Amino acid sequence: MRFLFVDRILELEPGKSIEAEHIFSGDEDFFRDHFPGFPVVPGVLLTEMMAQAAGKCLDAEGTGKGKAMLAQIRSASFRDWVRPGSTALITAEIRTSQTQYATATCAVVVNGAKVCTADLLFSFLPLEKFAPDYRDEVLESFLASRQQGKG
Amino acid sequence: MAKNLSEILAWVAETFEAPAEKIRPETRRDEIDAWDSLGILTLMARLDEDFHILLTEEEIQQLRSVEDILNLLRKRGVLGDNE
Repeated sequence: MRFLFVDRILELEPGKSIEAEHIFSGDEDFFRDHFPGFPVVPGVLLTEMMAQAAGKCLDAEGTGKGKAMLAQIRSASFRDWVRPGSTALITAEIRTSQTQYATATCAVVVNGAKVCTADLLFSFLPLEKFAPDYRDEVLESFLASRQQGKG
Repeated sequence: MAKNLSEILAWVAETFEAPAEKIRPETRRDEIDAWDSLGILTLMARLDEDFHILLTEEEIQQLRSVEDILNLLRKRGVLGDNE
């Protein structure tokens, strides 16, 4: 199983806000155990999804601070079940972004209803720590398409 | 509006996820379990968000006790001088 929970970026203002999307097809392995007869997306994955979206928003700034890494789940609330086949709209607003840290207020919306919210704290890890060929294809694809739109 | 001492001590306790009774002005950094590298990030982020105080890495490392945090907040006008 890949650990990628942002399929595509819909809107992005680097370092400020992002709207992204992920579809849970229903084929994901975790639905077999979480839970038999009542499959729902685990809250930890919804939290990870928000962290990945907010991280892309911070990474898109390209300030040389490094890659945004989730450091703390300051708060998280889960208001409704997310079932197989759901299309999740992920939103993140960056509240503050400094050299060493950033904070974001995030939400996941399914069928127009907010199913979870979280306040997250990020630190930054130097890009040299990652594999030299590591790339964020979702972010790069969005930035490239936006560039093409301008051209 | 300036905060009073008990409000700031509660804020410090919340920042470091510590029991309120454990946080006194004389409490040292090494007596607070969560005053580690993540605690420092949390402190910096909360100072920024709650009081619009931005600290350098050097300034944050100079904080060695709750009293140091109180003095910082007095200097920045968050905590009253008489508190």
